[in-house]
Order: sequence, then structure tokens, then C-alpha cells
Amino acid sequence: MGGPSTTKVRYRDRVVEVRPGETLLAALSRRGLPILERSARYRRPRGPFCGIGQCTGCLVRVNDRPLVRACRHNPADGDVVANESGWPSVRFDLFGAVDLLTPGGLDPFRGFRRPGFLVPLYQRVVRRLSGYGRYSVEVIPSAPGPVPIYRSTDIAIIGAGTSGRAAAERLVSLGARPLLLDRAPGSAAPDGAERIGNASVSMLTPPTPDGPREFSLLGFVENGGGFSVRARTVVVATGGYDGPLLFAGNDRPGVVTADLVLGLTPDQERSWFRRAALVGGGPRAREVLDRLGQKVAAVIAPGEVRPEVVRAASDLDIPIYPRSLILAAQGRKRIRRLELAARGQGPHFSLACDGVVLAHRRLPNSSLLFQGGVEMEWRAGTGAYYPTVEPAGRTSVPGLYAIGEVAGVGRADARASGERVADAIAPRSVTAAAPAEALPRVPRDGPSELEGYYRELLGERRSGRWVACRCEDVLLDDVERAHRAGYRGIEVLKRHTSLGAGLCQGRYCLPDALLLLAIREERPPSEVGYIRQRPPVYPTPLAALASLDPTGPAERP
Amino acid sequence: MTLGRSSYRTAIVGGGIVGLFTAYHLAKAGAGPILIVDRGFLSGGASGRNGGGVRQQWETRATVRLAREAVAVYRRFGREFGYNPWFRQSGYLFVAESSTELARLTTVHDLVRSEGLGSELLKPDAIAAKVPGIASGSLVGGTYLRSDGVLYPFPAIWGVYEAVRALGVEVAFGVDAVGVETKDGRVAGLRTSAGSVVTPTVVNAAGGWSGDFSRRAGLAVPNVATRHEILATESLKPFLDPMVVRVSDGLYFSQTVHGEIVGGLTIPHPSGTASGLPSSSEFLRRMARALVKLLPGLAGLGVLRAWSGFYDDTPDGLPVIGEDPRLPGFVHANGFGGHGFMLAPASSARVARAVLGEPTGLDPALFAPARFSAPGAAAAPERLQLG
Ligand SMILES: Cc1cc2nc3c(=O)[nH]c(=O)nc-3n(C[C@H](O)[C@H](O)[C@H](O)COP(=O)(O)OP(=O)(O)OC[C@H]3O[C@@H](n4cnc5c(N)ncnc54)[C@H](O)[C@@H]3O)c2cc1C
Ligand code: FES
Repeated sequence: MGGPSTTKVRYRDRVVEVRPGETLLAALSRRGLPILERSARYRRPRGPFCGIGQCTGCLVRVNDRPLVRACRHNPADGDVVANESGWPSVRFDLFGAVDLLTPGGLDPFRGFRRPGFLVPLYQRVVRRLSGYGRYSVEVIPSAPGPVPIYRSTDIAIIGAGTSGRAAAERLVSLGARPLLLDRAPGSAAPDGAERIGNASVSMLTPPTPDGPREFSLLGFVENGGGFSVRARTVVVATGGYDGPLLFAGNDRPGVVTADLVLGLTPDQERSWFRRAALVGGGPRAREVLDRLGQKVAAVIAPGEVRPEVVRAASDLDIPIYPRSLILAAQGRKRIRRLELAARGQGPHFSLACDGVVLAHRRLPNSSLLFQGGVEMEWRAGTGAYYPTVEPAGRTSVPGLYAIGEVAGVGRADARASGERVADAIAPRSVTAAAPAEALPRVPRDGPSELEGYYRELLGERRSGRWVACRCEDVLLDDVERAHRAGYRGIEVLKRHTSLGAGLCQGRYCLPDALLLLAIREERPPSEVGYIRQRPPVYPTPLAALASLDPTGPAERP
Repeated sequence: MTLGRSSYRTAIVGGGIVGLFTAYHLAKAGAGPILIVDRGFLSGGASGRNGGGVRQQWETRATVRLAREAVAVYRRFGREFGYNPWFRQSGYLFVAESSTELARLTTVHDLVRSEGLGSELLKPDAIAAKVPGIASGSLVGGTYLRSDGVLYPFPAIWGVYEAVRALGVEVAFGVDAVGVETKDGRVAGLRTSAGSVVTPTVVNAAGGWSGDFSRRAGLAVPNVATRHEILATESLKPFLDPMVVRVSDGLYFSQTVHGEIVGGLTIPHPSGTASGLPSSSEFLRRMARALVKLLPGLAGLGVLRAWSGFYDDTPDGLPVIGEDPRLPGFVHANGFGGHGFMLAPASSARVARAVLGEPTGLDPALFAPARFSAPGAAAAPERLQLG
């Protein structure tokens, strides 16, 4: 390493020092939760939400490159960072008036039709208001351009979490040399395995009978070129993420996922929250409790609270509200208060807080499996689709395996799930017979806790903005209106409301929308439809795609 | 799924923009009861998968005229149908990279002008003024027609869908049309996965699957389904007004009202509907390369989604409109290639006339189903199958 070189970036009118290893978001928000972005339709202030590079809560412009996620960007010295939205500034945006002037919502397809001669003018205004980023002819593609990566391997593992790493380690010990791909920059691969970090796999193409005989994985390295990997066997170990929740003002700055809280730097942890409401009563809530400790104002659960969470909270003198409806968050640029009600028509009450941490529902990060055409099944436990797998993780697509949380396997069994798949696919086969018993998974049947919760919630009187899709600013009202007008099924609803058309690819809206439609259409979620996932599963820079040989060279030498 | 009645005056196969518009014209003429069956969901076919381009620059006069009518319909669509398709008349810009290509565009330009439309011939610097940041070095010129434009297809679908339902048309999704019943050599009914219904008229508006359905009805047709891919990027503030189409490789792109760049590029795929509608990584790579080269300012922008749909191609590039002489009662409303959204409003009005037994006003040598069995070469093929 060289001498103590400091990295400095310019953000608006100030210079921010970046410590080694810090993301841009960490550097910009050491002293508190930032507002970097205004929402698409109503120009509502938005703060970071997901913490894992999926949502639209921290989009900025870096050196005139549009729509950079601050939480994924590793700054370089001299980077010039600006906000994409807000006039005159992101904190004080005059267009924010749209939010106040349209209490009944804004329907871009039914409105703005008359009188005919004004339509072109409306069009100009609406175009100006929509759109996330700004185009700049200044962006000069770096010469010689981003460098593409080509690999050919027997086994590719997507995701280097507990299960993915366990699979890699075991495979190495069995004499294989797997390739690990992960979105995190992360640590080294186990000796004997190769790893590409900062790598988002955005498209998975299975072999075809008359086409290629191997899987093809297409993706990009953050801030770099594209990659194209060919593999005979692919193990998907993409894990899960913390799900959203519907209530009035659920998009306010300060409403965040457990993923985000657990990834805070010490500086951020010190300055972002003083009294956060923690939503959830299971193991994930426990993790957040352990992390935030006294900064948790209360534990609020849509359903029951597990004994170990009760114990942990009681030790800290933190009040617990099991079986509670979360109705509304108050505060504009920051959450101030939560409106709650005990379920079963219980009393309404409120809680002062400066944050809401969503830790009530883990969802599988299954987009690649959907996109790759794997057979999926509904599991009521979390209310989500999981791949149909055999005990060792084999999916309906030959050569494609799913392990760990994305396959519905609990955290305690993540390692085992990785080891099992390794035993099954290692070239030099193992003596251990294929396991007959499946690892415990998210329950398939039984009542979906959240479905019951939403059923009750929909019966409550509603006011305020219930944001059903944060990326596109689609409201619960829009969904209900489409339903009343006779549009049925998730695919049609998506197209009718734009819900799910945003930058997170529907990860933070479609799961709830499925439950809502199931309730409204009075049929099981599985009949409301399958979420057809279109590639790429992560927005993939044109430059990265363009860096790859268009015809696809023979990646296996 | 059960159907509402056992007999209809007309049964339409396909609830895309063509089937819906056809039902609309029939219902307005009081020709009910009308049934539309669609095996998918609303907007699931090409009508929900296209680029939203509406242009009047064509190589044949007949197509120019159909498209010109459609422009009028989409201009007043919001007031008539209650949904705003955000039809933006900010032009189609065809760009040429060689003098041969430019000569071809100039012929189109002359024809379009002779129809009273204000097409313009542009030099590279004028093109650069319309498309900020375009690498115009490779271009020799182009044509531009300001009254062409782009629209957002979905609200157009919702508008016609709600209109036909309000007029009493039954629209049944998730119902597959499996064949026709015949009696005395003419159509007597439609067989579906939800049972058979009696009807004297079946309209084949099955888009890319229309060839399949005609063959199910025992009719040999030359329609070929070809898969075309398309993508949308993350959205940007407006900077691009026209739809841009490059003659050499069919690259096309425009910016939607929402700010996304939507566009495609033709790469060969095996024909037919059997392969389904996957997306290919080759398309993503090629399209990205072409876009970034022409508009380097887009380099850092992300591709948000890619999908594909079927063009319903005919040998002469013109749609098939009218009753099939081999099977009276079987009416074609298909063969729209990659341009059915813009041709639907005007064409469906003609289809409705054919159903009602009225003259369609279309040149049979260009549009009638019988033209493919007539001896001799096609009258005047439409070859400007780009964008
Ligand atoms: C990528 C792409 C880009 C395009 N860009 C443009 C453009 O810019 N401008 C333009 O004007 N046009 C464009 N087009 C073409 C345009 O989308 C189509 O021509 C038009 O939508 C055709 O409408 P349709 O109603 O005939 O067919 P569709 O919308 O495909 O509808 C046909 C329906 O028939 C149903 N069906 C089929 N078989 C059966 C059966 N046996 N039983 C029951 N139902 C059945 C299907 O489910 C489907 O819903 C594009 C097409 C594609 C694929
Ligand atoms: S919340 Fe991201 S697309 Fe809906």
C-alpha cells in the first residue's frame, strides 16, 4: 500500500472525505440519515431504504453518470456527486407541491386529456416531471472502455453468503474449482476457488437442446465492464431480503429495512436513529435488537412475538406490542410518530419515533430463478414463491440448483444446504448417499400471517399516501381503482398501474401486491399470477453490455 | 371459465389492439352480440410488447393512407376513450449511412409529400440538432416527418377495452380458440377451451399466432411469426423527441413519456411460435453496442428490462384484411408485421365492414386474403419494415 492518500469527493457545495472502504452513501451520511432523492410522481422526499443496492432511495449522479446508487458506489478521488432531482434543491423542492396539491392521487392515464389543444402542453410538463436521471452529452465513454470478463467453468455459484460459501468450501475440498460471483466486494474466496466481487448476475440462460450445452450468465461489475460466464452447473445462493410493509407514509425517510440497519457503519449507526420502531417479532427482529439495543423505541409485530425476542426486549426495558396494525407514519422529511392499533378492533395509539425498521418478513431473492424458467411454488409461510427443489437443491432445470434462503432453507441450515449441494454436484462423487430427508423450509401450507394482517388492514379507514410501489409512486388507491375497473391478475395490474415497473424490478412492491390481489380477487395468491421476471434482473449499464463481444465468443478455450 | 352465451353474431379470436378495435366498430354498428376470446391476458400479446411508434412514412401509398387515418384516431383518442395514450407527434427520423439508403428514403419522402404530408430531407447537422449527442459522423442524411410520433400502448388498450365492455362486448381471457365448426362449407361456430359457441363469423385477430389459428381452421396461409426483441432503459428527463430509425440495421429507439429509452434491433431468430418468447443475451449485447455507439451519452444508463414479441409477417409486408374465399364467414384481420398498433384503428374499421358484408374500400390486390393464391407477383410490396 502507498502512503496515506485521502479520497475526496465533491457533493453539491461541499467536499467530503471518504475513508478507506467506505461507500459513497456511508461517506455522505456519517452525520445522519440523508435525503438524496425525490420520488417519481409526487416528488416526495426519499431517504435510503433497502441498504443493499436494490431500491431507488439513494440515486445520485456521479461525474455526470446518471442514476448511480450511492450505497453501491466506491468513490474515486475527485468524483463530483450531485442529486438527480429537486429544484432548487433536493431538500427544498418546489415541485414537492405536487404531493400537497393532489391529495386524491394523480392518474397519468386518465387525466390530462382535455381540452385537446392543451394536450401537447400537458405532455411537455408531464415529461419534465417524470424521469429519474438527466442525460448528458458530456459523458465521454472512457477509452478504451470498460474491460469485459469472460470465464468458463464447471460450477458457478451465485451468491457468497453462508450457503454459497459453504458450497464453495466443500467443493474445493472435493477437488473442484468453483467460481463464486457476488454483488458484495467482499473477502477472498476459499483457497482453490475463484471469486468475482462487485458482480451482479443479471441474466441466466439455461442450455437448450439444440443450442449451447452450458448455462450462460450475463452481468456486470460495479463501475466496470460486463461479464459473460459459461458453466455446466449453476448454484443459485442469492439469499433473501427484508420485505416492505404498507401503511400511510410508508415511504418516508426513516422507514428502512433490517438489511439497511445491519449494514450501517458505526458512524451511521450512531447518528441515524435514536428511537426507532422495530417491526417484527422473529429472528430478524432479534438481530436488529441486538444491533440497535437501546435505540429501539418499541417492538411492534403484525403477529406474535417470539419468546426470545420478548426476553431480549424486556432485558432492555423496551415495550412490546404484538398483534398490532401499523396505520400511519407521520412526519415529512423524517418520521416523527407512528399511528398504531391493536388487532381485532383494539384501541388506537401512537408512538413517537424517528425511524421504522422493517424486520417482519424475509423474502427470497429469487428473480434469477424466475427469469431462468425454474418451476416455482407458493409458500404461505412468508407469502412468496420459492423454487421447487429436491433435498440437495436440484431445481426443475437440469444442472441448476438453489440453496439457502432463496430456496426457503432457514438460516440455521444454510451451511448444511451448501454442503449438500456440493456433495451432489462434485465431479469426484462422494461416498455419502444423497440425503433423503429435506432440510426444513419455509412452510408451504397454512395461513399466511401477513395475508390475514392485510385483510384486517384493508378494512381500516384510510387517509394519507399508502405507497404500494415506491419506485413508481403507485398508491394502494391506484391498485384498488384498477381492481374496481375490472382489471384482474398481477400481470395486467402491473401494466395498468406501473406498479413493479421501477428500478427495483418489483422487489419492493410485487410481493405485497400479490397478497392484496389475492384478498381483493378472492382467490389464492398462486392464481393471481406468477411474476414473470424479465431480464436483466438488475439494471445493467449499456456500457457494460456493450463491452462484451456481441456474438459471444467460445468462452471455453 | 364459462362463456356468457351459446351463440354470437361474431366471435373474434385475439383480444389485442386489432381484435378490440374490430369489436368496437362492430358494436358501434349495433352488430352484437360479440365475443372476444383470448388465451392470454389483456395486453399479453404484441399489443402490450411494442415500441409505440406511429409513422406515415411508407413505401406504398395504401399504407401511408391507413397510417394517416390512425394518426387522426390517436390524436383524439384521449377524448373519445377516456384514456390518455400520450401520443406525442414529435416525428420519426430515419437516418441513412450510405447514398443507396438515402436514395431509398428520398423515394419514400417523395411519396409521402405527394400525399400532402410535410416530410423533410435532413442533412447530418440537422439530424444532430434533433438528437442531442448523436454521433452523426457516420450519417449521410435522413428524412423526418413531424406529424409522426410515439404513444404509450397500454392506455390505448385500456381505453378500447373499457369502451367495448361498455358496449356489451363479452371479452373472455384465458380461453383458447382451438378451431372452427363448419356447415355447408362455411363457418358455423367457434370451438374453444371453454366449449363451442354458434357463430356465423369468426375473425382471426390472433396477431403472431394468426397463422397457427388459420391452420387450426384448415386454411393454409403464408403468415409467419418472427420473434423480435426490445428493451427499456432506466428513465431520464426528456432529451429526445423523435423516434430514430437507422436504415442499415433497423435500430430504432425513442424516449417514452416516462423517460425510458425504448428500442430494438433486428437479429435473426428461428421463425414460428414454438420457441415461445425468451430474451437473448445476444440481443442485449448488440443493442447496447449499437445504442452506445450512436448516442455515447447513454453509456452509463442501465437497461431495466428486455422482452420480445411476435411480428406477424406476410410475404409482401401488407396486412391481410377480409373474408377468406375458401371458407365464408372466416375473416382475416392479421399480418400486421411490426406495425399493427399504428395500423389497427384504420384497418379494424375495414375489418368490421368486411364482417358486415360491406365493401372495405381497400384494394383487394393489396389486402385481400386471395392475393396470395393469385398468379403473378405481388402488386406492390411494402418493404419499409423498420422500426
Ligand atoms: C417488439 C415489437 C415492437 C413493435 N413495435 C411497433 C411499433 O412501434 N408500432 C406499431 O404500430 N407496431 C409495433 N409492433 C407491432 C404491433 O405490436 C402488433 O402488430 C400489434 O400489436 C398486433 O395487434 P394484434 O391485436 O393483431 O395482436 P396481439 O396484440 O398479439 O393480440 C393477439 C392476441 O391473440 C391471442 N391469441 C392468439 N392465438 C389465440 C388462440 N388460438 N385462441 C385465443 N387467443 C389467441 C393472444 O393471446 C393475443 O393476446 C411491434 C411488435 C413487436 C413484437
Ligand atoms: S417498488 Fe420498485 S418497482 Fe415497485
